[in-house]
Amino acid sequence: MQGLKPIVSTESPALIFGTTTKLASDLPATDSFLGKNKVPDLQKIFQKADGLPVHLKRGVPDRLLYRTTMALTIGGTIYCLVALYMASQPRNQKSV
Amino acid sequence: MAHQAHSYHMVDPSPWPIFGAAAALLTTSGLIMWFHYNSSMLLTLGLISMLLVMLQWWRDIVRESTFQGHHTPTVQKGLRYGMILFITSEAFFFLGFFWAFFHSSLAPTPELGGQWPPTGIKPLNPMEVPLLNTAILLASGVTVTWAHHSITEGNRKHAIHALTLTILLGFYFTALQAMEYHEAPFSIADSVYGSTFFVATGFHGLHVIIGSSFLTVCLFRLIKFHFTSDHHFGFEAAAWYWHFVDVIWLFLYMTIYWWGS
Repeated sequence: MQGLKPIVSTESPALIFGTTTKLASDLPATDSFLGKNKVPDLQKIFQKADGLPVHLKRGVPDRLLYRTTMALTIGGTIYCLVALYMASQPRNQKSV
Repeated sequence: MAHQAHSYHMVDPSPWPIFGAAAALLTTSGLIMWFHYNSSMLLTLGLISMLLVMLQWWRDIVRESTFQGHHTPTVQKGLRYGMILFITSEAFFFLGFFWAFFHSSLAPTPELGGQWPPTGIKPLNPMEVPLLNTAILLASGVTVTWAHHSITEGNRKHAIHALTLTILLGFYFTALQAMEYHEAPFSIADSVYGSTFFVATGFHGLHVIIGSSFLTVCLFRLIKFHFTSDHHFGFEAAAWYWHFVDVIWLFLYMTIYWWGS
């Protein structure tokens, strides 16, 4: 179908250094300039049919970051509303 | 399992938009608390949460495109329109500050001594560091184009070298500007000259830093094999933004630095 990519890539994307169908393990030493291509492995991880949304797909590290962000934003919003309420009080008592 | 019968990307539910909105609330009210009540807690919270949201949102876009394959040509077209519209809105943002500069400099008031630069202001020599900065940004425009050609030709080593050089030139510009700011004989408080100079060049400098960061992320992705020779829109978007930053500098140089001195 026009424009649709298969669920799992049957071909790795044309490798940036221009080789055609070489696997990472077949590469000559000169082509491992700054590391191996781990994209196909990552594609397998992120295309697992586990029902997880993309922002939690990697499991524990994603959950940690998500919960930290949520704690900061929701906690911050409550603190913000309190601070704005206090700031909107008349000025005869100076609130810290 | 049903498969979509269209080439668009229906994204997974995501918390980042609403968390981003909350971060914006914290940052703006944080500014108020900092300005008026001498407390920087809320501002710090806001900036940190803004950073976290940006990191995770853009991380997810990389996952959706490079790892999950959702960026069909149709999707990419939408992203191209989006980036162009965003850059256009930034152009209008700078237009406002250029308007302010010309408003004050074309008809200098008696309070300024009826002249531009105002009496007592010693402007920076446009033929010294500002000219060097112009050459640096122009050169970085060449290197980013070289990087793009290397990507489309499948030359990994040249692409990495050219993009690294572009980023280094960006850092060099920022370092020189920081030094100029420190050494300038006038400050932002020195009449409308100082205001227009530092607000316009200051926002430009911020955009150079944003552009350099965007290019740096592209460099990491380039090294990690995310780009292919015909699908590398993230890099193209960064290159467009970088050219835009360069063009804004050229206008700044010609108007504020050169004509305005």
